[in-house]
Amino acid sequence: MTLDASSLQMVKPERRLKRSDRSPLASIGLHAALVVASLVAVFPVFWVLVTSFKPDARAVETSPQLFNESSLDNYTRILGGEKGAFLTWFGNSVLIALLTTVIAVFLSATTGYAASRFRFPGKRSLLMSFLVVQMFPFAVLIVPLYNILIALGLQGSSIGLVLVYCTTAVPFCTYMLKGYFDTIPTDIDEAGRVDGLSPFGVFWRLVMPLAKPGLAVTSFYAFLTAWGEVAFASAFLSAADESKTLAVGLQVFVQQNRTEWGHLAAASILVAIPAVIVFYLVQRFLVTGLSSGAVKG
Amino acid sequence: MAEVSYVKASRVFSGNPPVRAVDELSLDVADGEFLVLVGPSGSGKSTALRMLAGLEDVDEGAIQIGGKDVTNVPPKGRDIAMVFQSYALYPHMTVAENMGFALKLRGVAKTEIKAKVEEAAKMLDLTKYLERKPKALSGGQRQRVAMGRAIVREPSVFLMDEPLSNLDAKLRVETRANIAALQQRLGTTTIYVTHDQVEAMTMGHRVAVLKDGLLQQCDTPRALYDRPANAFVAGFIGSPAMNLKTVPITSEGAKLDGVTVPLSRSALDAAGGLDEVTFGIRPEALGIVPSGEEGMEMTVELVEELGADALVHGAVKIGDSSQRFVVRVDGRTPPTLGQHVKVAVRDHTEIHLFHPETGERLEA
Amino acid sequence: MRRFLERHWYAYAMVLPVVVVIAVLVLYPLAQGVFFTFTNINEANIANPVLDRPASYEGVGFKNYLNVLSGDASYGAFWSTLVRTLIWTFGCVFFHYTIGLGLALLLNRQVKGRTLYRVLLILPWAVPAFISAFAWKYMFNAQYGIINQLLRAVGLPDPVWLGQSDWALFAVIVVNVWLGTPFMMVALLGGLQSIPGDLYEAAEVDGATPWQRFRHVTLPGLRSVSSTVVLLGIIWTFNMFPVIYLIAGPNPNTRILVTYAFERFFSGASRDYAVASTYGVLILSVLLVFATVYRRALRKQGEVW
Repeated sequence: MTLDASSLQMVKPERRLKRSDRSPLASIGLHAALVVASLVAVFPVFWVLVTSFKPDARAVETSPQLFNESSLDNYTRILGGEKGAFLTWFGNSVLIALLTTVIAVFLSATTGYAASRFRFPGKRSLLMSFLVVQMFPFAVLIVPLYNILIALGLQGSSIGLVLVYCTTAVPFCTYMLKGYFDTIPTDIDEAGRVDGLSPFGVFWRLVMPLAKPGLAVTSFYAFLTAWGEVAFASAFLSAADESKTLAVGLQVFVQQNRTEWGHLAAASILVAIPAVIVFYLVQRFLVTGLSSGAVKG
Repeated sequence: MAEVSYVKASRVFSGNPPVRAVDELSLDVADGEFLVLVGPSGSGKSTALRMLAGLEDVDEGAIQIGGKDVTNVPPKGRDIAMVFQSYALYPHMTVAENMGFALKLRGVAKTEIKAKVEEAAKMLDLTKYLERKPKALSGGQRQRVAMGRAIVREPSVFLMDEPLSNLDAKLRVETRANIAALQQRLGTTTIYVTHDQVEAMTMGHRVAVLKDGLLQQCDTPRALYDRPANAFVAGFIGSPAMNLKTVPITSEGAKLDGVTVPLSRSALDAAGGLDEVTFGIRPEALGIVPSGEEGMEMTVELVEELGADALVHGAVKIGDSSQRFVVRVDGRTPPTLGQHVKVAVRDHTEIHLFHPETGERLEA
Repeated sequence: MRRFLERHWYAYAMVLPVVVVIAVLVLYPLAQGVFFTFTNINEANIANPVLDRPASYEGVGFKNYLNVLSGDASYGAFWSTLVRTLIWTFGCVFFHYTIGLGLALLLNRQVKGRTLYRVLLILPWAVPAFISAFAWKYMFNAQYGIINQLLRAVGLPDPVWLGQSDWALFAVIVVNVWLGTPFMMVALLGGLQSIPGDLYEAAEVDGATPWQRFRHVTLPGLRSVSSTVVLLGIIWTFNMFPVIYLIAGPNPNTRILVTYAFERFFSGASRDYAVASTYGVLILSVLLVFATVYRRALRKQGEVW
């Protein structure tokens, strides 16, 4: 019996299976699931984008079309102010959202730091009260809040609204930041104190720079809270057109029984852009920032 | 430069019952001295150091640095520098920034900071790494940065909290020598915490042994080794640990497995009235003798060969129970496993007796 | 006392602003809201500083609670609304959690384009909720909505999604699942990443199958994240008002407790603040009871949280 070279070659050397390798079928399944999920996640936004280029009349036709007399007209009309003082609302929203972000993040950072580092009487009940605060149907407090804002002279002003938004954003942000601060070793604080920092100095010069991922996520959360809120904004801002925020102003497109879908879609896209930009800036921090907060609770 | 005193300083953690982590510690450290605080985990050594740093409250008593009461002074007012076990380098600053941070906070001019940082970096062989972030350094380099950060300050006291425990064995021995030499050169009062008694013995001018928050003994390494104040110190200092056994005692001496080890008159006087004592003898004070001679019968259970010498672990009968003894023998001729050997006390001056209950040393 | 302040003043100084803001803007309004539930306050008798009109509402004792708890339809049919609220809440959170966990598990693997998938999957979170609501309302439209267009194209029945039927509840649950899943996914992904890899290796060496590894390593490793996000999810969903309100409007088939409180609050000229506040207090009570039971249950299983 002889073996020649060709018969030996028939036996292909088995490809070595690496531990990290997946069977092709599993790979396809994995990608298929992710692609489907991503499509579902993105489609509504995509559809709004498509609609935003259609005239209102075309947007309600009963056959699906990607393009149907599409143009930038909706955008030019909105930005041109034909549909209400869009740019003013936009400015108001930006101002209120940024103020909310800055104040809420600062407040939750100091509180979260105190809760993370200091043991002080009342700490437990403080943290518990944050949880309870989340349980309010907030809008039911509109009347009392309205009275208080009048008493403080803040009714109708952006600052009043910003403070109200802070109360909704701060509890969750504090939890998240406390969790994040917990992951920064206390040795760092102590080294700073020995190096000559006061407790506030430690917080400001060491802990804050190290907590960037956590701060990024909290900013994102606070920004979105203020950016997309409707009920308080309609209740607490004066009815004058120039003091409205976007969320309130956009209601003009939703008139009784006739919604201007094309314009609404275009306006929506314009409103979504800043939020998506903020999201894109912080998204790489989201997982670490959020999880350390949630893990520690 | 300053001397340091603990005056009956206590740290009490609330609880039921309250935990006295450091209990009425009184200790004086001379200017320029290298004092090591050593003890097992939970002994309060780190707490004692942190009290000195101002990172832990002093609940009772006082702490003085340079004759000044600093009990209620925050850390930044104490003129101390500290090296942490984890090094606690600021991750967002470069090596140079880490080292110069304290000076920057004090408002020292930039050029001066730069000069001092560079000088310290040269001393610690860190010049190449000044612009790196701590993340990009090896463990040994990080340790040196932590040292550098302390040196640059030119503080009156250095505090070091187990600064070597995150290094591998070889680097630890090397760094141990470097730190001791550095301290010698700078002449700065240093308080050094470790759980490693070898570190304590090799580095400290004096060593303070703590257990359960209580100071057991504070003396030079030599004195600790030769005259441990109680059974705990005797067992803690020295490697391998001293053989400590409870044995019956008569007017002739201590009774071990048919052998009576004669004791000095003063020792016997101190043990007067007791029928048992804790008998301590270091492995090197024991020896294996030829089978004909008088000695304890020991069955060899384990032989650890260290090269120059070997440690023989074996069982000896005392009364009804069998007790383990360790004997240090010449490394070239160790007994074999299971062999029966005769063990005798080589040096009768190296016998330590302790009270069987209090553990106090029995001897005037 | 001096010692006490000396030791804690840093902590209190850092906490104080939040405490003040919360006390003024939450606790005080809450107290006032609770007070309202014992009155017949509405738009007609509330003090109006603009018109310089003094308050003229009166105390009515427990009448509001009795009316609401009787389950009477003119007071929002409390009990059936509560049941619907529970269906809504647990339906949403169940899908948030399972879909979020599934996606997190997929994203936690070595897969090409992981960053892109992650960005796309989190996108629903980044879009302001009121815009998502408009988008879905548009897509769910019975005549020109893309969903029904697709259903018709493949020959399936095309229900009136947002009409007076349970389809409306189904539709708003779909929207809220879409909205809330990214948060769960991100939190669980972080939880997955915090499970040490050597646990999996140890389990593999011990001969555990992938399912057993998931069951005995992954799930226990996610316990603490899960218990937190599920509780938060339940609280948030229970009080989720914009999605339902903006999509379905005041539709009795999608009415949950919080939207009814709003209806009562904003409806017409009467603006029944008293009943709205009563609903608010009842919502808070339900959630407090739930949170207490939830924490008890967790603690019984040895989770100190």
